[in-house]
Amino acid sequence: MSRVSSETLRRSLDRARKGVGSSGAGRSPGKSGSRRRGKVAWTLVLFALPSVVLLVLLNAYPVIYAALQSLRNGDLIDPGAFVGLANYATVLQSPDFWRAAGFTLIFTVVGVFGSWAIGLALALLLRPRTPGGGIFKVLLLLPWVVPIVVSAMSWNWLVATPQSPLPMLTKALGLGDTLFLADPTLAQITVCVFKVWISFPFMMMMMSSALASVDVNVYEASRVDGASAWQTFRHITLPMIARSTFISWILMTIFCVNDFPTVFLLTGGGPLQSTQTLVVLAYSTVFQNFQTGPGVAIAFLMTLVLVVISVFLYRRIRKVDVA
Amino acid sequence: MPGLDNPLTVSRRGLLAGASGLTVLAALAACAPTGGGGSGTIKFWNMPWGNTQFTPLDKKITLGYRPGKGLPPASYQAVQWANFTTTFASAVASNTGPAVSSGSGTQAFQFSQQNRIAYADHLLDAWKSDGLYDDFLPGLLDTMKTPKGYVAVPYNLDMRALWYRKSLLEKAGVQPPTDWQSHLDVCEALKKAGMFGFGMAAGAQGNGFQVVVGLMINNGGGLFDEDQKPNCVTPENIQALEYMVEMVRKGYMDPGSVSYSTTNAQTQWKNDKFAMGFESPGLAQVLGGAVEDDMMIGDPLVSANGKKGALYFPNNIMMYKNTPTQKGSEAFMTYYFKNMKQLWTQKTGAGLPVLRSIAETPEFRSDANAAKMVDVWQPICKTWAAPGGDALFSNVALVDSTPAMSTFAQSVLSLKVTPKDALSTLQKTLISGMK
Repeated sequence: MSRVSSETLRRSLDRARKGVGSSGAGRSPGKSGSRRRGKVAWTLVLFALPSVVLLVLLNAYPVIYAALQSLRNGDLIDPGAFVGLANYATVLQSPDFWRAAGFTLIFTVVGVFGSWAIGLALALLLRPRTPGGGIFKVLLLLPWVVPIVVSAMSWNWLVATPQSPLPMLTKALGLGDTLFLADPTLAQITVCVFKVWISFPFMMMMMSSALASVDVNVYEASRVDGASAWQTFRHITLPMIARSTFISWILMTIFCVNDFPTVFLLTGGGPLQSTQTLVVLAYSTVFQNFQTGPGVAIAFLMTLVLVVISVFLYRRIRKVDVA
Repeated sequence: MPGLDNPLTVSRRGLLAGASGLTVLAALAACAPTGGGGSGTIKFWNMPWGNTQFTPLDKKITLGYRPGKGLPPASYQAVQWANFTTTFASAVASNTGPAVSSGSGTQAFQFSQQNRIAYADHLLDAWKSDGLYDDFLPGLLDTMKTPKGYVAVPYNLDMRALWYRKSLLEKAGVQPPTDWQSHLDVCEALKKAGMFGFGMAAGAQGNGFQVVVGLMINNGGGLFDEDQKPNCVTPENIQALEYMVEMVRKGYMDPGSVSYSTTNAQTQWKNDKFAMGFESPGLAQVLGGAVEDDMMIGDPLVSANGKKGALYFPNNIMMYKNTPTQKGSEAFMTYYFKNMKQLWTQKTGAGLPVLRSIAETPEFRSDANAAKMVDVWQPICKTWAAPGGDALFSNVALVDSTPAMSTFAQSVLSLKVTPKDALSTLQKTLISGMK
């Protein structure tokens, strides 16, 4: 038995030296070689087929179906008549769409840069090894870890009624009755702050891992050269974490534009549609107004804008890589 | 190579063939129709209308159905409220939907336009002979009538009635109001005691727009005319909105109300901040605890126009054309309506009953508030179709919990626009959405 095994091993090593697999003939590529490659390719295709079929069924089919729905004047029950690009024209002429687009922009800009600034600041603060640093990191991750439903309910409890803790606090400070969710402007601010609060832990993790990859010798060298803390941050830290920064911006932009629960659970888009984002508008158009055509058109326009932003930021990453 | 001698070893090619075959089979199975017509049972889909006891009891009632000879048995499925419209729409479109179901109040009207509904005229004719037809509360069956026939059968009632906290009114030294003027007087007294008399949840996840329309109906107004077309800018509606604006200006409404969800409003009821407001029949049970016993249903208010009225929602059960047999659907409906009494006598929180025989049971009448809503409020209630008529229609979906209605109510209650402008905007929105 051991003799056979040794023989098998010897043959295998011999084949390996010749650059062929265990079942390969080791002949030079020719007609039979290309036939063999073709067989291998077909085998790979067949292996991939079940996954491809599933992907097409689960992803491509709904997208294509939705694209067709956006060209029809239907509802959730009736596919409706073909209306071409009329739904897109209607949406683009609607003041509700532009109001929602405006707030989506504010929400995204505040969400991305607010969470990035706080996340980066905390990552820098927690970078040196300090006693209890791990506990702080865990605590700071909580807003990201806690389910959004729980967070939204907690924030609602914090601010919704005049008897809630925050309005009571502002009243005690002499700022009068503060209606955080009933006043349109304050509601917008509250929603944006909430978004930053739930997002900064993600940014903190991204930035922490980016900072960990920066060689400490570079900082040593800058210190020797007499660079100030700000100069070090501006000319060393930021450029060296630029790639991670752009990636985190792309991800957070996608998170913010597509963020349905944050707004829907806290304000439902109100009051007076002041906190309505495009994704909430698309939802309410389809599922509350039963207008699938315009609702899906909003979703596609949203996707288009996201693709443009993502491509722009991705090009920035490539520039950073080249540099 | 131990596998070579193992008869159970699957070759790579065999594995691929098997996987591909299974994928195709799964796809074919997904496409195969297994609808109400294909399964050989009457598929009954019901919503969780009440508390946690509702669905188990409802299922028990359904599965207790013993069909006559040659008729199919019934199966039961509870459909959750989350995205239920999509659940029904996709199931009905793919012929995998129910033979009989409840759903939203306007669902039957929408499906009837797609020729999916089996009209209930024959069933109701049969019920005329066995007394069930005359058992319905007055005017209810008419709400389901369309030119083509009855699209559904009323099942339970929701309404916006005047609730008050008895102890808080006593604390303020006032009696429950009976008309708009006394309503204002009570609100003033409550305000002096640090409470609100016009409690409501007008946020996107509240029902304030129903209260607003309810008061418009109270004053003889409403949203649709006799031709079922929007007719919002009427003197009755403007007067009703001005009445609400007066209450807001005088501080009778919690200023946070424009953003409140129903949960926020319930908190205010429990916190002794809301002492009076228009709410749903189950409010007292939802609040629970000591507050439950303190909650009282008031009398319908006489409006400035000298009218009484309120908004109600007759929820219904509909039959679909996709059924093993229409006779089977009708037999099951007859059984269900004759046996659903327990849902109310065992207090499962299933709204208000539609049958007199249920409303007259000692168990139901033991809840004085519920009894008063059926006896005093139901006869003066009107549907979304008011003031033009009582029969609902598919375009009512434009006002049934839509964002346009929330925005309308918020714009009035936040004093951002005049009542007339708010109504004009609503009118334009409804007309643009008409089909």
